[in-house]
Amino acid sequence: MTVLEDLAPPPKVEVPPRGAGRRDAWQRRLPLLPALIYVVVVTQIPFLVTLWYSFQNYFFDVPGGAHWTGLSNYKTVFTSAAFRGALVRSVVMTATAVIVAMILGVAFAVLLDRKFIGQGVVRTLIITPFLVMPAAAALVWAGPMLDPNFGLLNYLLQPFGVHHVAWLSTHALGSVIVVMIWQWTPFMTLIVLAGLQSQPPDTLEAATVDGAGALATFRELTLPHLRPYIELGILLGSIYLVNVFDAVRLMTNGGPGTATTNLPFYLYTQVNNAFDIGGAAATGVVTVILTIIVATFALRMFARVFQFEGAAS
Amino acid sequence: MTAVAARAQRAREPRPGRVREMSGKVGWGIVAWVVAIAFFLPVLWMVLTAFKPESAAETWPPKFTFSPTLAEFRLVFSGWGPYVTHSLVATVGSTILVLLLGVPASYALSVHPVGHWRDGLFFFISTKMLPIVAAIGPLYVIALKAHLLDSIWLLIILYTAMNLPLAIWMIRSFMLEVPSELLEAARLDGAGRIREMTGVIMPVISPGLVSTALICVIFAWNELFLALNLTVTNAATMPMFLISSVPQEGLYIAHLSAAATVASVPVILVGWIAQRSLVRGLAMGAIK
Amino acid sequence: MAHVKYVSATRVYAKDAPPAVDALDLDIRDGEFMVLVGPSGSGKTTALRMLAGLEPLDGGRIEIGDKDVTFVPPKDRDIAMVFQNYALYPQKSVADNMGFALKMQHVPRDERDRRVREAARLLDLDDKLLERKPKQLSGGQRQRVAMGRAIVREPKVFLMDEPLSNLDAKLRVQTRSQIAELQRRLGITTVYVTHDQVEAMTMGNRVAVLSGGKLQQCDTPRQLYDNPVNQFVAGFIGSPAMNLQTVPLTGDGAELAGATLPLPAAVRSAAQQAGLRELVLGIRPEHMHLANGAGELAGEVMLVEELGADALLHVRLTQGGASVVARAEGRKPPGPGQRVTFHVQPDDVFAFHPVTGARLAG
Repeated sequence: MTVLEDLAPPPKVEVPPRGAGRRDAWQRRLPLLPALIYVVVVTQIPFLVTLWYSFQNYFFDVPGGAHWTGLSNYKTVFTSAAFRGALVRSVVMTATAVIVAMILGVAFAVLLDRKFIGQGVVRTLIITPFLVMPAAAALVWAGPMLDPNFGLLNYLLQPFGVHHVAWLSTHALGSVIVVMIWQWTPFMTLIVLAGLQSQPPDTLEAATVDGAGALATFRELTLPHLRPYIELGILLGSIYLVNVFDAVRLMTNGGPGTATTNLPFYLYTQVNNAFDIGGAAATGVVTVILTIIVATFALRMFARVFQFEGAAS
Repeated sequence: MTAVAARAQRAREPRPGRVREMSGKVGWGIVAWVVAIAFFLPVLWMVLTAFKPESAAETWPPKFTFSPTLAEFRLVFSGWGPYVTHSLVATVGSTILVLLLGVPASYALSVHPVGHWRDGLFFFISTKMLPIVAAIGPLYVIALKAHLLDSIWLLIILYTAMNLPLAIWMIRSFMLEVPSELLEAARLDGAGRIREMTGVIMPVISPGLVSTALICVIFAWNELFLALNLTVTNAATMPMFLISSVPQEGLYIAHLSAAATVASVPVILVGWIAQRSLVRGLAMGAIK
Repeated sequence: MAHVKYVSATRVYAKDAPPAVDALDLDIRDGEFMVLVGPSGSGKTTALRMLAGLEPLDGGRIEIGDKDVTFVPPKDRDIAMVFQNYALYPQKSVADNMGFALKMQHVPRDERDRRVREAARLLDLDDKLLERKPKQLSGGQRQRVAMGRAIVREPKVFLMDEPLSNLDAKLRVQTRSQIAELQRRLGITTVYVTHDQVEAMTMGNRVAVLSGGKLQQCDTPRQLYDNPVNQFVAGFIGSPAMNLQTVPLTGDGAELAGATLPLPAAVRSAAQQAGLRELVLGIRPEHMHLANGAGELAGEVMLVEELGADALLHVRLTQGGASVVARAEGRKPPGPGQRVTFHVQPDDVFAFHPVTGARLAG
């Protein structure tokens, strides 16, 4: 089984040779067009409109519609402490959740890679947090799990001297991050597990014969083998986690104050509370530009991790 | 003792190394089970609490034994009608649209690729990287002006755009697995493009299409942000139903748990069934 | 350097299934090149892995030197193994691959490098290959790196699991002699597994033939060829395979295709004692001599396989219709359809028990 050899492997069948004829080229393009046009229309048009509105002063609750205001929305964004705070919090939340989820993911994958009774059931239990509706997860953690008066966590931690902690008030950011980790560790686990299972068993036997104990084998052979999988997990996890909204909105509503407000939630408040379409548009554009910068690095890493071979084309 | 009897006895007793081997295995098994149960605990607690009467749901210490009741579930099922319908329509509708658009597109990026297939692929994935949240304000305005606000069609349109890149990468990875000998044999038999697609490719990748569809269903069903901002009542989906089960005042934990359970169970079941292909879907086809 | 002993070594996989290796008794001398040969499923690879410590024993014991290593983990047995698919560490360079075991033994870096370079020179591996990764090497180069990884360790025993099976035919023949020469030079006890009896015969000091988990015969190649102890060994060793036919006994010998082939008195009395009315006759193709019409066995040539120096004749014997293979001079072999006769020396005829396959004493 070839696993993870190339993220975008070259097609096996022939790529059109130069000068193959316009008819052939259009025959090849035709099936792609519906999806392409659809995505362009549905994603790019809103973005262009966002760009337009970012230069407008447009408050939904103010009659009179939109007026041109040049770069003033952008100036607000760059000077806004709220925006900077949301940005910093987004980075902190995403980085923490991704790193911890990956560490746990590696640990769980190692655990799942052995044979024991009920292995299938254990695996199913471990991936379930990922399948729970994020909105449901957020509400269940907020109430039945973390509530200071009847939450399960406080009850379980009692023997450790923890008494009726109001997690969502005193440790709001941590609580949200815990839920993010809880939901995304299975994702990391599955990716790392696929990596572990793709290790050729005879190299592991060779290491045993060569005198490597379990720890040495893991350090010298397994981790280098897992590296592309870990990188993939971190990359994809970051893409998904940076956009987390449900937990923030439903557990703490961005609070207390703005303690748990990340970028998606900040944009939401701008539209929903401040009705500031123009400001939200500018914030959105800046967010997109930042994402593009980060994504370019990420995509370059994608390509490197999977060793693009231009062979077939 | 004769040599034969000695050998027979040794065969019955476990060899000394084996005892250590077995206890090592059992040890890891226990650790794995403990971890799995600890991780699963919140889900277990959610389902358990769903069967509690409200009076037993917000107690200290939390109750593990109580007389179970279906009252909350009954309440959920009496109230969920429009929500679950909207969720089903949006989920199934967008998934069908995704497959209709995605299969030909994947074909054009794998079996009979266009010249700039790499650019095409990366365009699709780039739309996934740009946060939809950025455009939510203008999206609202556009939807309003197009009279699509609070319309199930809006959700279908947006969910399709949300899942299409993922689906294309996934379906493409399945199409690349079709053995080229099969395609060449079909071509020698005189099959044109359409016959190749319906006769050779679709049958071979049909399990892959099923897992792609299941992944799309998971993401569409769970989606909250767009539903929250762009719908009110006529297109409100299950996540919104969940939010509505948190009232301003009064006891609600058991009811919330019941609603959360009902809302999550379909996706959990789908995920358990599609377990094997979950990885491939999440990794966008990079991992088989 | 040490001798290796299998004492009644047994490995059973499933409870009611026959053992994969059944009470194997094998004494391998210090410095000897011992080949384990047999068809797939014969237990040869399992026996090798038991010696490596990669398979546990369900009975019996294994000794290396004078130590009982049955419960000793692989890394403490002082052995090195060459795997069938080489099992090179993909993310490490060739030099790191070869030096890995030394690194695990905390051998200082300079000595490690020295020994790696020495082994590389012995195997004709160019210095600039040392920094490459396995996937950048050809099959033959990878095979040599796998050998180098074993040589560097200077272990007590070399274990090799079909190391030539992934090479193309020409490279295989070349490498075969290189391995044999290397072993002679280094003098390290070697246990070598293969399914190819040509490899076994040309490389081994002694060859152990296994079938169904049981040792059939362990002897020098010459002895296996001249004195097979049962029908299986007789049919397995020698290429092309020995002709085997079940034939009825007559007064002075056995009857094949209308001719009576004389059997020595000892064989006849052994057959009589066992109450046999028929037995299995074995005649090697090279012992069927074309006799220009004067031979006792007559038949028609069905197919001629020209090998250059020799030709193999597939002949259908006239009486009884049995098919045999005979070796003839390559220059002007008889053509298909031609009638030929063969003469067989009585000494070249083997007789086996039709049920047990044991050789009837000769």
